[in-house]
Amino acid sequence: MFILDLKKISGVVAMALIASSSLIAGGNEIKLKTPSLEERAIDGAIKYEIKDGVYANTYRVNPKAYKMAPKYGRAATPNEIKAWDIDVRYDWQGLPEGKGTATEGDELFEKHCAMCHGDMGTGGNGYPKLTGGDISTLTNQLVDPANGDEPPERSIGAYWPYASTLWWYVKTGMPFPHPMSLTNDEVYSIVAYLLQVEEIQIDGKDIEDDQVIDKKTLMKVVMPNVNGFYPEVNGPDGPQNMKKFLSDPKNYGTPTTRCMKNCPKGKVVHIKAALDDGIIPPSTQIKDLPKEKASGGDGADSKAAKLFESKCNACHGNAAIAPVPGDKDAWEARIKQGQETLYDHAIKGFQGMPPKGGAADLSDADVKAIVDYMVGKSK
Amino acid sequence: MQNKNSNNKVASRRGFLKNMAASVVAAGALAPAALRAADDPIIMKEQEWSTKLGLPVDKNLYGVPSPYEHNVVRRVHKLLSSGDMYASVAMCPIQDLEGIITPNGLFFNRCHGGVAIVDPNKYRLMIHGLVEKPLVLTLDELKRYPTESVIHFIECPANGSTEWRAPQFNTLQFIKGMMSQAEWTGVRLKHILKDLGIKPEAKWVLAEGNDNSHMGRTVPLEKIMDDAMVVWAQNGEALRPEQGYPVRLLVPGWEGNLNVKWLNRLEIGDKPWHAKEETSKYTMLMPSGKAIRYFWPMEVNSVITRPCPDKDWKGYKAGDVIEIEGLAWSGHGLVKGVDISFDGGENWVEAELKGLVLPKAWTRFSYIFKWDGKPLLLSSRAYDEVGNVQPTIDQEVKKMGVENIYHRNAIVTWEVKANGEVNNVHIRS
Repeated sequence: MFILDLKKISGVVAMALIASSSLIAGGNEIKLKTPSLEERAIDGAIKYEIKDGVYANTYRVNPKAYKMAPKYGRAATPNEIKAWDIDVRYDWQGLPEGKGTATEGDELFEKHCAMCHGDMGTGGNGYPKLTGGDISTLTNQLVDPANGDEPPERSIGAYWPYASTLWWYVKTGMPFPHPMSLTNDEVYSIVAYLLQVEEIQIDGKDIEDDQVIDKKTLMKVVMPNVNGFYPEVNGPDGPQNMKKFLSDPKNYGTPTTRCMKNCPKGKVVHIKAALDDGIIPPSTQIKDLPKEKASGGDGADSKAAKLFESKCNACHGNAAIAPVPGDKDAWEARIKQGQETLYDHAIKGFQGMPPKGGAADLSDADVKAIVDYMVGKSK
Repeated sequence: MQNKNSNNKVASRRGFLKNMAASVVAAGALAPAALRAADDPIIMKEQEWSTKLGLPVDKNLYGVPSPYEHNVVRRVHKLLSSGDMYASVAMCPIQDLEGIITPNGLFFNRCHGGVAIVDPNKYRLMIHGLVEKPLVLTLDELKRYPTESVIHFIECPANGSTEWRAPQFNTLQFIKGMMSQAEWTGVRLKHILKDLGIKPEAKWVLAEGNDNSHMGRTVPLEKIMDDAMVVWAQNGEALRPEQGYPVRLLVPGWEGNLNVKWLNRLEIGDKPWHAKEETSKYTMLMPSGKAIRYFWPMEVNSVITRPCPDKDWKGYKAGDVIEIEGLAWSGHGLVKGVDISFDGGENWVEAELKGLVLPKAWTRFSYIFKWDGKPLLLSSRAYDEVGNVQPTIDQEVKKMGVENIYHRNAIVTWEVKANGEVNNVHIRS
């Protein structure tokens, strides 16, 4: 063991020494051995091999399993691939034909999205805020709200690097309770609307209300924050760029020395505003028998209850969006309108409630049964 | 000889019965004074469960924990969800776990559109894109490949994200419970892909799930051909629905989100995809206003699990010798060691690793400590096989700021008070 002042040695020599052994630097710090780029996998991790039938010096493996070439399964047909290949890559590979307008998108957004994401996507109800951010806020750091610190606003227009992600997200992940239900034209319209709200330009011009946005026009969109991300992963060197980045812990604030003695002193910061009260169920170390649950009888296992769970609970499970079954105050006035009115509103839609809650596959009888179940729980 | 033997047996039985009778008389004589102050009534009296029949063996044909363990559960918090309990997370009670394997029912559960219940008979895995031979496999066909079983943690990169600005939770479950560990069984993807004729320009793979969110993530082909697996079992049984039943991707050491659940499609491509979970989310916004993307591995990390705010030292007194225990892990390889500090990080000593020490896996550490009953600031600091060391909070925040949400691995410190109470605190300059 020897003491070494790394600062006095040229970088190349120091790196070679570090790579070869653990060193004590300055007495109180232990410098760790770091592998070379060649010894690392693509994520900067140690690259493990199979040696003498042992993987990663840990797991025995059957070497013959690595030599066999199994031919199981069958070829995917072109139609099958087409049916499942629903992604839209950042270079627009996979974007289907279609068209829409911001005006149509506005209506669709009101019908399918606003109950969670708020008017014009400005957020609310705990669901993600989609719009209203500004790229200039991305350098904000909300360290202390009492200091007047503001958070960065990661809205679509301010943060997302590619509009392709928006199209793909809406098509395959939304509307939240029943994704894959929007037509491609409807998706084009909602995307056009959100881009318009975010003041994204096409060919240097704002998106007009009735401007037709189709595949060709959408592919012209360049998002303001397209260069706001690193490392560069898109070119032919993408994987290698990632490897270099992840292999250098300085890039993510991680030291490679262990300070052992007289390390920097700090002050103790205690919890000021604990969030523990919101934990469900409350934390406890008690070992006892569970309290007897009230016996069923609320039809929790019924078909209507199950349909409610799968089709309605995404909104009606959140009091900020829609009345929750069991919330007697919220239901009193509604129940007074009579069952027929409630059936009618549920089937045809009413205010924020889309027809059948957006679950067009439900029969009228199913919807009525669900209403009965919700009312039954709320009396 | 045989006769003599049996006579001896008879004789000894008689003697036994005689002695029994005598001892019954003696016990009877003592009965009124049986309970002395130092006697534990639990020992002195037969308990209900030892004096009646237990449950019949056909009572729980799929076993459940003791009813007394009903408080050991996953827990949720509205602030950690996107509006509801479908795009949300249920935290693992790591304060109550022993060893390095998480029971399947307690494995943390993060999903983006609810827990899909997939019919295994209708399960298909499709592999297509830049391959000569696009492939469809049923679940039965998938299971014909040679299998391996490996132990790896899965950790959501948002684990500990509530701690960026200040300590906010005083339970380990919500400080570090967005992770769990299992033994996973499945097939290495290289076995499946090597015969499909991957085209030379292929560099990236889109892995997509078949749940409500159709969650997709881009994985570099190099990782897919290295240690990535498709797995269908955890801890010896089929994956739980919460873990993607019937099949999920396993990318050892990487962000939980990349271990795509309900996996039904792998598309090989020449470019990365930039899916919703690698642009709008799972990107790390730095103080410069630029964001790091594709930060795959989970960095070196550790936390002391005994004591912790949930498992305090109120039952101990000055002079007691106590084992300090915890978990360390790194997505970069093996945990090489763990240091412990008793003074908030000014001075450190080395703890011992114990049990199985596996790559990209939870590793237990231990330190035997004689407590003088004085308050402590107790911290652990792990270092790993690539030479990475857990940063102090100051070191991490100085580089990363407080807005990047993901990949927080700064040193965790418990304040141990003289009365044994344990609190989550931060050490800051």
